[in-house]
Amino acid sequence: MASETTLGSGRRNWLPAWLAGDTVQGIRRQRMVLGVLFLLPTLIGLIVFVLAPIVVAVALGFMKWNVFRPPEFIGLKNFARLFQHELVGNSFSNTFVMMAMTVGMLEVFAISLALSVHRFARSRLAYIFRTVWFLPVLLSGVSVAVTLSYLFHTDFGVVNYYLGVLGIDKVPWLVSSDIVRFSVSLATVWRNLGFTFIIYLGGVSALPQEILEAATVDGARGLKRLWLITLPLLSPTILFATVIDVIRLLQFFDEPYVMTRGGPGDSSRTTVMMVYDTAFANLEFGYASSISVILFLIILAVTGFQFLLSKRWVFYQ
Amino acid sequence: MGNLSRREMLQASAAGVAGAAAAALPGSVSLASAPSQDQINMRYQVFNVDTVQHMLNTYMELNPHVNIEAISVTGVDHQEVATKILATLAAGNPVDVGFACTEVTHLYAGEGLAQPLTPRLMDDADEFMEYYADTSAALSETMLYEGDVYQLMDNFNAANMFFNKNLLAEAGLEMPGKEWTKDDFYSMAQAMTGIDGSFGYGWINRFWGSWMPWIFVNDTNVLEEERAPGGEWFWDTFYAGDERAVGRGGGWRWPAPQANNPKMVEALEFVVSLTQEGLTPAVEIGGGTTLLGFFSGNKLGMTPAGGFWAGGLINSGLEPGSFDTQFWPEWKSQRHQLGVCGPWILDGGGQEDQCWDFLKHYKKREIQDALGHFTPLPLTTPTRRSLNTEERFGQTGVENWRVFYDTIDERPDTGPIAQPVFVVELTNIFTRYTGLATNGEQTPQEALDNMQAEMEDLYARNA
Repeated sequence: MASETTLGSGRRNWLPAWLAGDTVQGIRRQRMVLGVLFLLPTLIGLIVFVLAPIVVAVALGFMKWNVFRPPEFIGLKNFARLFQHELVGNSFSNTFVMMAMTVGMLEVFAISLALSVHRFARSRLAYIFRTVWFLPVLLSGVSVAVTLSYLFHTDFGVVNYYLGVLGIDKVPWLVSSDIVRFSVSLATVWRNLGFTFIIYLGGVSALPQEILEAATVDGARGLKRLWLITLPLLSPTILFATVIDVIRLLQFFDEPYVMTRGGPGDSSRTTVMMVYDTAFANLEFGYASSISVILFLIILAVTGFQFLLSKRWVFYQ
Repeated sequence: MGNLSRREMLQASAAGVAGAAAAALPGSVSLASAPSQDQINMRYQVFNVDTVQHMLNTYMELNPHVNIEAISVTGVDHQEVATKILATLAAGNPVDVGFACTEVTHLYAGEGLAQPLTPRLMDDADEFMEYYADTSAALSETMLYEGDVYQLMDNFNAANMFFNKNLLAEAGLEMPGKEWTKDDFYSMAQAMTGIDGSFGYGWINRFWGSWMPWIFVNDTNVLEEERAPGGEWFWDTFYAGDERAVGRGGGWRWPAPQANNPKMVEALEFVVSLTQEGLTPAVEIGGGTTLLGFFSGNKLGMTPAGGFWAGGLINSGLEPGSFDTQFWPEWKSQRHQLGVCGPWILDGGGQEDQCWDFLKHYKKREIQDALGHFTPLPLTTPTRRSLNTEERFGQTGVENWRVFYDTIDERPDTGPIAQPVFVVELTNIFTRYTGLATNGEQTPQEALDNMQAEMEDLYARNA
C-alpha cells in the first residue's frame, strides 16, 4: 500500500481503507466493486435460473429418484439404459423428423412472406400484415393446439369438411401414424411462423439496395435474382433464424402433447414428452434427467454443426 | 433425520439434489417459511377454488387462527392432475390436504404420501357414523388400501350411457330401460348414425369411460382383481348390518395384467368394429370436453359419461330435457366402472391434526350440499346418497337422474377402474395401444398382446 499514489484527502470515513478514493488503486477497486454490484442481479439470475438447473439436471442424471425417497447415486446406469431403450430412440427420431419438417416449412414460408410484405414496406398494409402474421405467436401454445386438434378431427374437423367440399376423402390427420407428424408440424408452423417472419422481415429490410439495383440493371430478375443475389445476401439472417428454430423445435412439446399425447402409438412422441412422461408418469426423475442431458448435448452438437456448415454458405458483407 | 417432517424431507431432497454433489442439508432446517406459532397456514389442493370457497370461509370463520390457501390444480384427467401434484413434491412444496380421484388414490397411499386415516376414524367414529351411513359401501371401499382408509369422498362418477334425445327422436327411438342389452345398443347406434352427419356412439381414448365400460360389462378388467385382507374394523364400525358391505375387504388389489385375455380381445374387437362400420367417429385422444362439444352439437347419439354431464351439458348450451341417461347395456354382466374423488392428508406434513379437523368440517352434509360442484348445477355426483335429489338433478332435465346412484345400489358389483400405484404409466400404455387398434394399424389381438407385454414389464419393474 505504500506505493499507492495519493490523490487527495477526500476519503469517506465509512469506506474501508482498501477502497479509499484517494489513490488510483482505490478508485480502480471502487469501480470494480461497483461493476460487480451492477452485475450482481444478472449474475444471481443466471446462477439461480440457468446454471443451477443445468447442474441439478446433470447431477440427477446419475441418480435414481422417484420424489418420494431421497435420491440415490447409481453412476452411469441411466445413460446405459437409455441407449438400449427403443422408445427413447424412437422419440429422438420423431423429434428430428418433426423438427426438419417444421423448420423446412417455417423458413420457406417466412422468407416468402417477408419478401412479399417488404414490397408494401411504405404502405399501411405492411403494419397490418406484420400484425396479423405475428398474432399467433402471442397465443398460448396449448390453446392453439386444442383448437387445431378440433379443426383436424377426422370426422368433425373443419379441415376435412372443406377437403370434402373439394371432393377429397377424409384425412386421418391425428390418428394415422403416417400423417400425424406432418399434422403436428403444420400446427406448429402456424403458431410460430410470425416469429420467424419478423426475423426475416428485419433481414430483408436491411438488404443493401444498391446491390439489388445493380443486379437488376445487370439483368438479374425474378427467381434468378432471388437465388443468386437476395438469398446469399440474406444468408446471415437465414443462419440465425434456422439456429433459433432448430433449438426451439428440438424441444417440441406443447403441440404434440395436447394434440396427440404422442400417439397413435408412439408415432408423435417427442424427446421432451418422453422426459416429461418418464419423470411425472413413471416417477423416474433420474432417468428423465439423463435423457434431457443427452438432448442438451445433441442440441449443442447440432448447433455447432450448423455454424460449422455456415462457413460454406453464409455470405457476410 | 428421524424427526424430519415429510415437507422438510421433500424440501431437503429437492435442495439436496440441487447441491447433488454438494452436501446434505442439516436435518433440522426447513426451507419453508415457518408459520408463526399462532397462525396455521394450510395448502389445500382443489380443481376449482370457487367451488370450495364457501366451505373454506365457514371453516376459517370457525377457526380464525387457520388460513387455508386453495391451490387450483387442473388437468385433462386425474392422472394429469397427479403429475402436477408430483411436480409440487419434486419442488419441495407439497399441499397439506390433497384431492385425488380413484385413478391415483393407491399411488398416494402406496408411496406413503397420504396419511392413513384409520386411527383418526376410530377415535372419531361417532362423528362419522352419519357420513358413512349416507355413503354406499362400494364407494367407501375404493378409499381403502391394504386395510386402511386413506381418503374421504365427496363425489363420484360411474360410466353410464348418455343419450342425445334430439337424435333419439329423429331416429324414432325411445329411451331404453335399465335392462337393455348390447344388441339393443348396437341397433340404436345404427339408427342414430347418419342423421345430418351424426354418429350413433362416440368415445375418446383415455382410461376412465373410454372402452373401459365395455370391458366391465364383458365381465373382465385390464388387470386381475382381488381384495386385500383387512378392513374389518371399517366395515364392522360403519357398515354393520349393511348387506351391500358383505364380502368387502381391505381395498382393491390388481396383482397382474390380463390385457390380452379373450374377453378383453372380444371387447376391443367390438368397439373397433363400431368404428369400422362408421357407427363411431375416429377415436382420438382427449378429455371429456372433446365429447361434450360433439354431443352438444348433436353429432353424437350416445356416449359414456357420469353425473358430471348433467350440469356440464347444460353449461355447454344444451336445453334441459334434451338428453338423458341410462345404465350401461348388459353384455355378459352389467357391472359398471366408477371413480371416486375426495381429500387426503399429507403424511408427515406437520399439520395433520389441523388437516383432520378440517376434513371433519368438510364431510358435514350441509357443507357438502353447498359445494360449488353440486350447487347450483350438479357438475358431478355426490357420494352422499341424500344429496342426490330431484331438486338438484331435476333442473338439468335428466329424467333418469336416479341412475347415477342406482348404478351402485342396484349393481353392487360395480367397481373402481384399476388404480395400482403405477397407474399413470399404466394409463399411457393403455391409451397407446388402444389408439393403434382403433386406427387399424394393429389388430385388437396384436394391440392387446403388445399392451400385455408392456404391462408385464411395468409390473416387473415395480415388483
